[in-house]
Amino acid sequence: MEDNKENKSQSVIEVIDFGPLKITGNFLIKDLQRNKEDSSSEVKLCRCGKSENKPYCDESHKK
Amino acid sequence: MERNENQFSGGRRYKNDDITVYWKPSACVHASYCYRELLEVFDPSRRPWVDMNGSTTEKIIEVVNLCPTEALAWKWNDEEKNESVGSDQLNHIKFRRPELMNSIDPDSNEQPVSVKIMSDGPIVLKGNFTLLYNGNKKEVRDSMISICRCGVSDHMPFCDGQHRKAGFIG
Repeated sequence: MEDNKENKSQSVIEVIDFGPLKITGNFLIKDLQRNKEDSSSEVKLCRCGKSENKPYCDESHKK
Repeated sequence: MERNENQFSGGRRYKNDDITVYWKPSACVHASYCYRELLEVFDPSRRPWVDMNGSTTEKIIEVVNLCPTEALAWKWNDEEKNESVGSDQLNHIKFRRPELMNSIDPDSNEQPVSVKIMSDGPIVLKGNFTLLYNGNKKEVRDSMISICRCGVSDHMPFCDGQHRKAGFIG
């Protein structure tokens, strides 16, 4: 079971300064607010609270 | 091989006749809802700090559901009742710590990173991943973090529980 513990992370999660949370790699989003799932390969999630398309970023933070 | 039945991987559990409350200290961000709302049950100055006889089951569930992290979670002792628990019960283990519910292996490297968008709350990330923030690079292993989604945390990019006070909806 412990065969390959030096596996690199399959996902990179980047907190973009003054911007969204960018997620790439192997992940599964469960949106408990809207009862939806998303397993795409890259997403940007809103961190400013202003997006009209939550949980995704819609660039509202730049306004 | 008898383990203390009050312990589980990463924390402790506390029971009354109806429910079990799970406590994972490493996940706590000291948002303080538990002891501000229900000191009779959650008293950090007491040992053990959780007294399941301090209030009613209904009240304990209500306050555990206020915890903005997975530090506190709960389940019914009657497993059948757990199946029908709805997502309004934010901190039921089904939503917060599914590995405590059944056989999902929390240590598996094959699991995709779990990204949960909490109702009117943070993004909760769980699993194995690389986290880049404020110029730092951190390899997260079998662990969990909460990222602020409301924009008002004093502990950016992490959630500090202020979304409730701020009335964040989304």
